[in-house]
Amino acid sequence: MSRVPLRKRFRVQTLLLVLLCGWLLMLHLTILLNHGLDGLTTGVGDTLLARNSETASANAVTSVVVSYRGFDTLGEVTVLFLAATGVGLLFAGGLTPSPVPRDRDSHPNEVMVTGTRLLFPTLLMLGVYVVLHGHLSPGGGFQGGVIVATAFFLRMIADPAFTLDHARVDFYESLSGSGFVLFGMLGLVLVSTASFLGNFIPHPVEAMGQLVSAGVIPLIYLLVGIKVGAEVGAIFQDMLEPDPAPDHALAAREL
Amino acid sequence: MTLHFTPVWFIAVPLLLAFLSPLWVRLRLLMPILLGAHVALFALALSWIPTVRVAPLLETIVIAPPLGIHLHLDAVSLLLVALFNLAGALVASFIWLSNRESHPFNAAQDRLFDSAQDRLRGRPAFILILLLIAGSSGMVLTGDLFNLYVFLEIAGVSAYALTALRRDKSALEAGLKYLIIGSVAAIFFLFAIVLLYLQTGQLNMAALARDFAGIPAPMQALIGLLMLIGLGIKAELFPFNFWVPDIYRGSDPEITALFSGVLVKAFLFVLFHLVFLLLADPTVARTWLMALGATTMLVAEAVALRQQDLRRMLAYSSLGQVGLITLALGFASEATTAGALFHMVNHTLIKLLLFLLTALMLRRFLSVRLANLQGLGRAMPLAAGLFVLGALAVLGLPPLSGFASKLWILKGFAEARVFWPIALILLAALLEAGYYFRWIKVFYAPEPPVTAGQPEGDWAYAPLLLIAGLLILLGVAPFLLEDWFVQAAKALLGRGAILESVLGVQP
Repeated sequence: MSRVPLRKRFRVQTLLLVLLCGWLLMLHLTILLNHGLDGLTTGVGDTLLARNSETASANAVTSVVVSYRGFDTLGEVTVLFLAATGVGLLFAGGLTPSPVPRDRDSHPNEVMVTGTRLLFPTLLMLGVYVVLHGHLSPGGGFQGGVIVATAFFLRMIADPAFTLDHARVDFYESLSGSGFVLFGMLGLVLVSTASFLGNFIPHPVEAMGQLVSAGVIPLIYLLVGIKVGAEVGAIFQDMLEPDPAPDHALAAREL
Repeated sequence: MTLHFTPVWFIAVPLLLAFLSPLWVRLRLLMPILLGAHVALFALALSWIPTVRVAPLLETIVIAPPLGIHLHLDAVSLLLVALFNLAGALVASFIWLSNRESHPFNAAQDRLFDSAQDRLRGRPAFILILLLIAGSSGMVLTGDLFNLYVFLEIAGVSAYALTALRRDKSALEAGLKYLIIGSVAAIFFLFAIVLLYLQTGQLNMAALARDFAGIPAPMQALIGLLMLIGLGIKAELFPFNFWVPDIYRGSDPEITALFSGVLVKAFLFVLFHLVFLLLADPTVARTWLMALGATTMLVAEAVALRQQDLRRMLAYSSLGQVGLITLALGFASEATTAGALFHMVNHTLIKLLLFLLTALMLRRFLSVRLANLQGLGRAMPLAAGLFVLGALAVLGLPPLSGFASKLWILKGFAEARVFWPIALILLAALLEAGYYFRWIKVFYAPEPPVTAGQPEGDWAYAPLLLIAGLLILLGVAPFLLEDWFVQAAKALLGRGAILESVLGVQP
């Protein structure tokens, strides 16, 4: 790489294409940023904000994400699930002719080990807090789940002997995912809501701001948190895992 | 507690089954569940025909439109959902029934093929196929623009991973290419949604249709262009479809059958659904869409003439048919739209048949290049016969279903006294005849076939014979479904009816 002269390392067309894309992006941002300076028009967002009290969730964003547009959230969880499945599919078994396995014999440095020992419980607690308070404060299942997964990722780096049990991760993921859908279906079959993902647990407005409030919203967010944590954790694990028997013939053959 | 049969089931049931997949692995029920789910949902869709004929079904989720998400089950979405689940059931049964025994010779090759078979029956493939169909159904059903984007991502991500399922060089390259192209297309579409929301403050498609005329004209053009590029890439229309043959060549033919049969149809529907909904007068875009369709058709058919690999040839043939459907839908008259929907159904069935046959040939000959398939008619007489049947159906020869649907489209153009599309469609059919007969001639060449793989069990032909039976049935008796197609075309073109049923106002 270093022997190639600079002018040959960059292709002019690619550079021009990048510049064109950048220019288009700037154009797009100009349109976006100039918009709404003079107060937003009467959109769906404002109407939903005005009606927020009916979900009894102190965090209005959460009531949109989990209740009003909970169907989208179910879809996004599914997209993440698919991505995790895809990563598992591609990384299991090894692809590259020269795999870079995780070296079990090399010890991570002292700063890493001590730092992780200190950070792991804190991160775990922060993650759980963010998940459980999704209906009260900014955050929620997605954010909290990723924080929990990050805590485990640090453990994986700091401690070469530490691995997540794939079967157990799959179990949590499957349980929380099907739980989400079952909650949705329960809302559908119960007469009181009769709508997919309907909020069938009583959720009085007086309780707004308390930990136990907003009906199914915190429960669904908890399931989302578990699912996101398990999925992101599984992705980390798949990427770190050494390949048991790299199959070079597989990667090289062509059908 | 009541048991509702609602359109939500088309999405919720596959999601639940996919999330529960570790359980099915343990119980060894993956393939029965995959087949059973699609058969059950197909039956559910059929059972709804009488209800939907009376009035479209609106399923509100949590909060009523235009604030919340709703699913809109009318004649056209029911038609496509039924079609997608039928395709899923056919492919699942093919994967389940195809050969499991290994060949005693050639151990190294055998190991590769065994693993290819096992991969298609494995847990990742189960999840991805199930959700590919569910995502496509969701795209067709939803009445909310952002929800549409979510389903587009579900179907898209499943497709990227499925492409790379075989994990050899060409499959990985195809998967990476598809991932990048598909994401770019999705971003274009997302930009369009962002602009629409900023301009109107709505995400519900009916509400957007109501407010779209109020957007300044240059912004309308920008939104339209972004959508056309995003969906044009996904629906494989001409200037944006350069990537398609590589993807179809690289992935397993069973998977390609789903791409060509289900995914493209869903994106075509989305494109035209949005065009017919957002534009009060769809004839504004008529010339552009028809030109896109016509160029897609002619370019693809011309390129297909030179292909040396069966999968590439079928990919270009698929593009040609997509162009034909776009041409007919773009005209936006009731007769051509109904004919185009009929042709969509036909094309799905035909391409399922041809790609699944390709899978069988690939297993037997270990290659599907023209030079290696000499004398295939002797080694696999049934497969060659079915291929001829499928080819004739694509060309549109009576008594096969392709004839009925192409005739309907041509009649629609003739009634409107527009003759240039008729000339182009007939020219395309001529080109199709050219390349399909080139392959058929090689299949029946008087040379001994050189087979290397294992012979296939008879059961694998069962779903193929079923498809062939359907093609003949629809060709002999198109009146069975004619009424449904007319209803579906009315539903697709009926902007006023959608606005009224969702918003309760006359446009």
